[in-house]
Amino acid sequence: MTTPFLHINGLRKVYGNVVATDHVELAISKGEFMTFLGPSGSGKSTTLYILAGFQDPTAGDILLQGRSLLSTPSHKRNIGMVFQRYTLFPHLSVGENVAFPLRVRRAGKDEIDRKVKKALKLVRLDGFEDRMPANMSGGQQQRVALARALVYDPPVLLMDEPLSALDKKLREEIQFEIRRIHQETGVTILYVTHDQEEALRLSDRIAIFNKGKIEQVGTGPELYANPATHFVADFIGDSAFLGGELAAIADDRATLRFADGEVLAGVPLHGTGTAGDKAELMLRPERIELAAGPGREGATLPVVVEDVTFLGNNSTVTARTGWGDALTVRLNFGHPMIGSVARGDRLHVQWQPKDAHVFVKP
Amino acid sequence: MLLDFRKLGAWKWALSAICGLMTLFLLLPILFIVALSFGSSRWLIFPPPGWTLRWYEELFADPRWIDAALTSAKIAVIVMVLSVVLGLLVSLALVRGRFRGRAVLRAFFLTPMVLPVIIVAVALYAAFLRLGLSGTLVGFVIAHLVVALPFSIITISGALETFDPAIEDAAILCGASPWEARLRVTMPCISHGLFSAAIFSFLISWDEVVLAIFMASPSLQTLPVKVWTTLRQDLTPVIAAASTLLIALTVLLMVIAALIRKGKAR
Repeated sequence: MTTPFLHINGLRKVYGNVVATDHVELAISKGEFMTFLGPSGSGKSTTLYILAGFQDPTAGDILLQGRSLLSTPSHKRNIGMVFQRYTLFPHLSVGENVAFPLRVRRAGKDEIDRKVKKALKLVRLDGFEDRMPANMSGGQQQRVALARALVYDPPVLLMDEPLSALDKKLREEIQFEIRRIHQETGVTILYVTHDQEEALRLSDRIAIFNKGKIEQVGTGPELYANPATHFVADFIGDSAFLGGELAAIADDRATLRFADGEVLAGVPLHGTGTAGDKAELMLRPERIELAAGPGREGATLPVVVEDVTFLGNNSTVTARTGWGDALTVRLNFGHPMIGSVARGDRLHVQWQPKDAHVFVKP
Repeated sequence: MLLDFRKLGAWKWALSAICGLMTLFLLLPILFIVALSFGSSRWLIFPPPGWTLRWYEELFADPRWIDAALTSAKIAVIVMVLSVVLGLLVSLALVRGRFRGRAVLRAFFLTPMVLPVIIVAVALYAAFLRLGLSGTLVGFVIAHLVVALPFSIITISGALETFDPAIEDAAILCGASPWEARLRVTMPCISHGLFSAAIFSFLISWDEVVLAIFMASPSLQTLPVKVWTTLRQDLTPVIAAASTLLIALTVLLMVIAALIRKGKAR
């Protein structure tokens, strides 16, 4: 096996008796856009800060092109970083902000002028050299911060929720800018966010963090279609979880018995379990069909409608199974049942067994 | 706004009058002493019968006054430099540090502000007699530093608290060593705090009289002490001239401090 470009090797960080990250293991290829996705306190930012050198790990190592970074202090790691908060130097103009990394590297005047111009052009802020940070919008400031982090051609760019202070529309606009800049420069990016939509839009691969550990690594479609754990299934996309019991297992396919005796066979199983274990069936709302009576093929369950919400391009129907678990069904605009479904209706939901997933409860 | 000045009607004349009277009350003694310093009367008659620069000539001709002024300036400059440097280091520890007893330490550093100056003076006098520091430049500097440092710590801590340490982190990741980042980024960003601390420290030492009386010796005294001792011997308009110069420098520095604040707010 060849050495990975960036290797996070068994990283563990303990504060007092709190474990912030535990055995974080990740190999990142050159030019890859890798996102750390997870709720706050899941260890994603701690991992990034260890990469930046602001914190030392309790155990483990970080290898860039096979060489450990841990003994190199932050300012000599040659890593770029864009922070969550606005961190432009308020007393320097935009041009001087971008020139700063080159000045501390004692670069020549011509080189500085040329590279600053190029970096500002990259973030589409050419001509803003003399502007002061205080006179710029939040989005512009983060673009300057991006130019400042890229001007010295770092091998790795770290981004710590750089768009969380911006409003939704601006955020989407800059997400596209970041994608374009990633494609143009080919820089390896490690991006931290708690916003699944942002992660899916930007990343080549996503590492899902939970309680200091990586639950799963994969591309967006892989994680959505084939979540390894309950947490990943819950975090990426909306899903319903129906409680039941494992009745039988064969070739990674499970047979599940629900609380009301209903039995469902041929569902992909995640995790190991034996017959009799408590388990959950996960369903994506767009994979569920709503029908007046039981369907002839696939799986089917009787439900009672609890609520109907109109959301513009689709409507969401919340329903409850006979034993009390909630699930939602998404009806696209124009679906014949929109308008006729009402609270208290007794209907059936149906889906293909292969579209559902079973997670064994620990 | 609850109280809009333009909608107060007749009340606004009353308010303007009160405001004017207050200003006069505060300014009049200063204007009075300035006028007397230029008055031709030997007996400080007001209004002055004529105008003269004679008292200033006498002031500048007397080496004891010049000595006192130079001593004052020397002490004030040393106090200013030490107060800003120590204030910055203490503020870094108090604002950035994460150690136990930080709040207690902060309160401890600020006590000279609330303690009556006369008590500090007596305490220092007793201590300095034993240490052989009374009547020395070092004694003066230490005494003034005790009362100036709290002001430095308050203004520099204030500036440091509004400065996001992430900006310093950004500078470090950009390739600046931690000290280079502090020098090139943090210091310029809190420069308004450093300047205010410098000006206030200088003024506290420059105007201070209680501690200075205790520290002074016949051969070493500051301008306020010289004014005080001369006043007890004879009442001469030279004192008014010296006071005017003291006030002039104070006003000048206050204006500079105000301009710095305004520049920061812009």
